[in-house]
Amino acid sequence: MKDQIQSTQTEALAQIEAISDFRSLEDARVGILGKQGSLTKLSAGMRDVAKEDKAEIGQLLNAARQTITASLDAKKEALQSEADAKALEGIDLTLPGRSVHHGSLHPLTIIRHEAIGILRRMGFALADGPEIEDEFHCFDALNTPEDHPARNEKDTFYFDSGKLLRTHTSSVQIRTMEGGKPPVRIIAPGSAYRRDEIDATHLSVFNQLEGLYVDADVSLGDLKGTLEYFLQEMFGSETEVRFRPHFFPFTEPSFEIDVKLHAKGQAPKWIEVAGCGMVDPDVFDSVNGNRKDEAYSPAGVTGFAFGMGLDRLAMIRWGIKDIRLLIENDTRFLKQFA
Amino acid sequence: MNVSLNWLSTHVDLKGKSPEELDALLTFAGVEVEDIKLSGVPSDKIVVAQIKEAVQHPDADKLKVTQVDAGEGQLRQIVCGAKNYKVGDKVPCCLPGADLGGFVIGETKMRGVESKGMLAAASEIGLTDEEDGLMILPEDFEIGKPVKELFDHDVLLEVEVTPNRPDLLSHYGMAREMATLLEAPLAELDIPSREAISTAGVRIEADEVCPFYTAVRISGVSVKPSPAWLKQRLEAIGLRPINNIVDITNFVLHELGQPLHAFDASKVSGDLVIRTAKEGEVFKALDEESYTLETEDCVISDESGTALALGGVMGGLDSGVSEGTTDVILESAYFTPSRIRRTSRRTALMSDSSYRFERGVDPAGVAKASALAVKLITELAGGTAEAETISVGAAPELTQPVTLDLGRLDQLTGGSISHDEAAAILTRLGLNLNDSGQWDVPSFRADLQRHIDLVEEIVRVKGLDAIPSRLRGTFVPASSVDHDYDADMRLRERLAGLGFHECQTIKLISDEQVADALPLKPLREGDTIRVSLPLSEDHAVLRPSLTPGLIASAERNIRQGASSLRLFEMGRFFRNAGGGKAKDLEAESLAILIAGERQPGNWDTATQHVDLYDLKAIVQAMLPGHAIQLNPREREGFALGADIQAAGQNLGSFAMLTPARQRQIDASGPVFIADLDLGKLRKLSAVTHEIQDLPQFPGSTRDVAIEAPESLANADIEKALGKIKEPLLAGFECFDLFSDPTGEKLSADRKSIAYRMTYRSAEKTLKTKQVDQAHQGILDQLAKSLPISFR
Repeated sequence: MKDQIQSTQTEALAQIEAISDFRSLEDARVGILGKQGSLTKLSAGMRDVAKEDKAEIGQLLNAARQTITASLDAKKEALQSEADAKALEGIDLTLPGRSVHHGSLHPLTIIRHEAIGILRRMGFALADGPEIEDEFHCFDALNTPEDHPARNEKDTFYFDSGKLLRTHTSSVQIRTMEGGKPPVRIIAPGSAYRRDEIDATHLSVFNQLEGLYVDADVSLGDLKGTLEYFLQEMFGSETEVRFRPHFFPFTEPSFEIDVKLHAKGQAPKWIEVAGCGMVDPDVFDSVNGNRKDEAYSPAGVTGFAFGMGLDRLAMIRWGIKDIRLLIENDTRFLKQFA
Repeated sequence: MNVSLNWLSTHVDLKGKSPEELDALLTFAGVEVEDIKLSGVPSDKIVVAQIKEAVQHPDADKLKVTQVDAGEGQLRQIVCGAKNYKVGDKVPCCLPGADLGGFVIGETKMRGVESKGMLAAASEIGLTDEEDGLMILPEDFEIGKPVKELFDHDVLLEVEVTPNRPDLLSHYGMAREMATLLEAPLAELDIPSREAISTAGVRIEADEVCPFYTAVRISGVSVKPSPAWLKQRLEAIGLRPINNIVDITNFVLHELGQPLHAFDASKVSGDLVIRTAKEGEVFKALDEESYTLETEDCVISDESGTALALGGVMGGLDSGVSEGTTDVILESAYFTPSRIRRTSRRTALMSDSSYRFERGVDPAGVAKASALAVKLITELAGGTAEAETISVGAAPELTQPVTLDLGRLDQLTGGSISHDEAAAILTRLGLNLNDSGQWDVPSFRADLQRHIDLVEEIVRVKGLDAIPSRLRGTFVPASSVDHDYDADMRLRERLAGLGFHECQTIKLISDEQVADALPLKPLREGDTIRVSLPLSEDHAVLRPSLTPGLIASAERNIRQGASSLRLFEMGRFFRNAGGGKAKDLEAESLAILIAGERQPGNWDTATQHVDLYDLKAIVQAMLPGHAIQLNPREREGFALGADIQAAGQNLGSFAMLTPARQRQIDASGPVFIADLDLGKLRKLSAVTHEIQDLPQFPGSTRDVAIEAPESLANADIEKALGKIKEPLLAGFECFDLFSDPTGEKLSADRKSIAYRMTYRSAEKTLKTKQVDQAHQGILDQLAKSLPISFR
């Protein structure tokens, strides 16, 4: 019996050693350890073993089973790692990845979102108004006299109804103040229209961002601090910002704002990015007239307003030389924003 | 406007100020400096030289080899191609190292002959000369002397003056502003006063346009070219000298800002009559064009009724000063700005005069300008001026005393400008604090009418730099626009994540493009909104939907070779909702377009064209959690038109371009578009519901392949399934569709459509038998209600 155990084990180990695939390994396991397996059959012989030898033979059988099982496991592991290695053979890491669509947001959306993000951190809420406006909201209430050049139909799109396409988002200032009491702290991104021939630097439909802050004691210092902070967030904390006195009918005093731009390979230069000013008291009076109250009495509130061209900001940010790229939607252009 | 620095310097001392300093000074005063040009000889190394010898170049017919004396003790050899000189002439000689605006002269060989410098033409060294070729200098010029010292040089500032500051539209006005800013003295004007006045000879019949008119008759003048100094002044600012009389009126305009006009007195019969034009009256202007006038316009006429000038805008062709003129009538007047603006715009006739009148001239300057011009004419053209100035009407008083609210000044500036300094600034600007504590405003500053206008001046002169920045703000709640914006950004980012490029198209489209519109509610006659005066027919109509722009973008991209397109745009569309009446609707939508290959080209997969299920999936991705349905609805001009429905409402429209339209835009396969109502989409896409608990027990699935006629839609099967009340059925999904056009595996008019059903109980894990039973029950009921069999 002892010899039989020994020889069965030796045979089994040799058989396992020679195996080179999973199927033969499973066959071998069944053939040795299965119900009809060689070692199982041998175990059945325990019945005939003398009582005093049972313990010893039992131990030998157990030891043989363990050895064989260990050998089977080792073989399985070896075969598995061989197969794993084989599975990775011949893979060409240099083939291109499988293509997927890379979408993109439009550059104007990106720049607008960034600007809105900064201004929202500063506590501005969004507002909007109609693009088909009336003369009151686009001009009269903004202190623009009837014979002002901007009101000419050569410069502004009118409709037969007498309405017009707003020439600036400043009309939202009036709409917002008509609709609510101070304090007002809003920004209004939106389209504006001017009868400009479309060329490399002009669009007849363009995008602006308007801002308005009205409260008791809003000062020139607030105007300056707000816009400096905004532009330094937008263009970098070291950006130099300058305020040039200017004239707009709806603010007094008024300024144009330049930032000093350091474009690669060019001498730094001042670039105009926005207009701003303290809300003209006449604008408050117009609003009060329409509200039929004194909520915006120039004696009680002051405010500042600002406006900037988003198309221009996008052109500055990405060095876009032709504004028409922003409306042509050539995917070779758009993909660069993916 | 062009400003000459030399001219300015006759009024204010600007010595030692670099062009850059002047630029900064004006910029921070609110005058935009658009360009700075230097004129005159740029370099010290351009000297007077005498040509001593000129011989033919041995190897070049057109060149001569000259020996010149540039005052260096020995002659200099220079090869020269000019012909207009003779030996002995003095000419400008550029020595090696002379910088001609970026081009530096050196020593060189020309066709093998040494040339040590360049003999120059006037234009090459920043001067002007009527002759071509070398600039021949006067004989008395000293050899070796830098030419720079012998000619004036000047700085020309091209400035943009804001419409509120007409007082800056002259050299004196600009000098006055600079003197204020620099705290420098302003030279007094040397103008004799002409106090004697009569009213005979001029009648104003249109005092609403011309409230104040003056005229001076000057007899016996001789019309001839102006002296050099006057020509130089005008040329410096880019004006062409004409004759002494016209040049003087131009000079005074640019000196004082008051436009003048000189009539040939022999062309005027009787009194001058200032009247409104007759309807349809034709006026032939100096520019030789004829203009048809309206009753709004103002003309200067005479007793004969002929219009001699279009008041405040331009003189007439026949009444102006010419060489034969001996007597002139000099006009100086005040015209109402809005009326001049109207006439100028309507006739598209703009002049230096109308530019100033429509912004408003200084009423007090009318007489002053007239007196200066009379003085210059009698000095330069001879003649005798009548002692009396004809003066009709009165100079309007446009200014009034203004109160400066010091409390408000402190509030706006944060107290950073002292009251004393504020007062000093106003005083420097020519304002005067009167006895009642108000500020008297000079006549040339009609823009200063209110307290805030004075604050503006104080801040402008002091500079915003002096006011400390303040970083603070009021807290405000988010608005509904904020919520909409955030929802839109989520949709945008989701679409970009799904591989779509966001587009931005122009909101004005052409009439033809309207046919590409796919709004939720089909367009009827009169629903589109057209601008009255489009720039071009390509941009005439406000888009009634976003799809025309997207289709145009697709066309552009297909033409440049894009093989796979995924585009979207979000924004406003416009519609006349009043059935022809002006009731304008502005709403927002999201348009999506797909075309071309489903996936960009891959090395291991065949390319496939997109189909409608690709776009349907994208629409579904906009509204996870809501089942999207396409309900067929014919759309004129499109194929496969359908309403997009979810949560029981119509969200938008869906369609394929007709094959004909598809070919027009050169698309090689189908193009699908959808236009979704953004308002509804925002509401439905907001996750506002409470979440569902996760199932406690596992579910089991059973697949069923249904053989059905081709005509039986998935929706019919889903509807039948939906009607079956089996509590254990937790859900189902279609996972396979098979048909065989050859009829071999399946009859050609039938299809096999397979569903995976999920069964689950909320109380326990289901046993196989229970699942089988439920599944069989469903199959039995389906077979009863539909013409199907199971495979």
